[in-house]
Amino acid sequence: MEVTLLVQAADDSFRLLEDARHQAIELLNSAVRLTSDTRSVEERKLQAILPMGLDAKSKLQNFFATFVMLFVFWMILSEKFDLFHLSLGVICTFIISYLSHDLLFANVRVGDIRVIVQRFIAYIPWLLYQIVTANLHVAYLALSPGMPIDPQIIRFKSKLESDISFVTLANSITLTPGTVTMEIYDGEFVVHALSRKVADDLNTGEMEDKVAHIFMEADHIYIQDVLDVARIFGEMKGAA
Amino acid sequence: MVFRKEDIIVSTIARILIPFIQLYALYVIMHGHYSPGGGFQGGVILGASMVLLLLTRGHDEAKYKIPENMVITLSSIGVLIYAGIGFLCILLLGNFLDYSKLAVLLHVDPAHARSLGILGVEIGVGFAVMAVMYSIFLDISTGGVLPEDEEPEEGTEA
Repeated sequence: MEVTLLVQAADDSFRLLEDARHQAIELLNSAVRLTSDTRSVEERKLQAILPMGLDAKSKLQNFFATFVMLFVFWMILSEKFDLFHLSLGVICTFIISYLSHDLLFANVRVGDIRVIVQRFIAYIPWLLYQIVTANLHVAYLALSPGMPIDPQIIRFKSKLESDISFVTLANSITLTPGTVTMEIYDGEFVVHALSRKVADDLNTGEMEDKVAHIFMEADHIYIQDVLDVARIFGEMKGAA
Repeated sequence: MVFRKEDIIVSTIARILIPFIQLYALYVIMHGHYSPGGGFQGGVILGASMVLLLLTRGHDEAKYKIPENMVITLSSIGVLIYAGIGFLCILLLGNFLDYSKLAVLLHVDPAHARSLGILGVEIGVGFAVMAVMYSIFLDISTGGVLPEDEEPEEGTEA
């Protein structure tokens, strides 16, 4: 009797130890993931400071990535898959990627591209939802007899850093009905808004946070990351 | 003169689109004998992509990518390819641009030789049109005076 109790106690304590170990590993993994995100941002900043630091390796990577993208584009255009046309495609793609390999991936590290594409695809449905709701709002403004518009120009200093994130945010703002990006000057956005509601929506900075999350911009706590960490801690709390 | 104006949206979108425009131009040139298009149209698209590069990046960077001398050389090479294929057919006892006579050189049947001959001529036309379009734009945008021409003049005045 005592022996079985002892065995059970030992078993329980072993299981608890295992659980604790799993939780610790999970926590460590999430910490590693977060730090690696920040680290890659720091590396990117370093590269921005030292534009000469682009070594031959990253040039080759850029060339290869451009080549693959352009060759896929060629095959979609050509629709002829015999040897002659494919070899023509390889030659043409080689020439263009040799000429323009520094254009397509100018400021982006190749290692980041997979994450960026993944997050960008996840961003599109949210943007579409914003466009639909803003559309309904603008339709309401146009159809209501009083025409309750309040046109205004708002300026805000953006926290974003790279050109591509500026452009993504500016085009997202322009795509959303009711707001038009007029100018980006020195990191400051000048936006025309049709009514107070769309201006307030823009001033909450949710869209900016999302874009910052896509391109992993630094000096900024991302809502998405906080949510991820909160989920992990919630699981741990539930387990305990 | 065209100077680079800092407009982030235009320059970034142009940066991303230019490789695709150039590849599309080459596609139009290479598939000219199957589908609408050909050397002239493809050459114009290629020239337009370079004009876009010059407009968004300014003279310095465009000159780094395509030097002025290379533009002139390319236009001559394009005409040389076109006329060379034409006169090659005369040398092989055919008419000017009678591609079927090229079958002897290419070791293929005459019908296939016509297809390849047209492709070669279109590549030549594409080069020539691209280079001439771009050099016309260069001349208009600089008023006929290129930046490297100005520097020695200043030197002689001083």
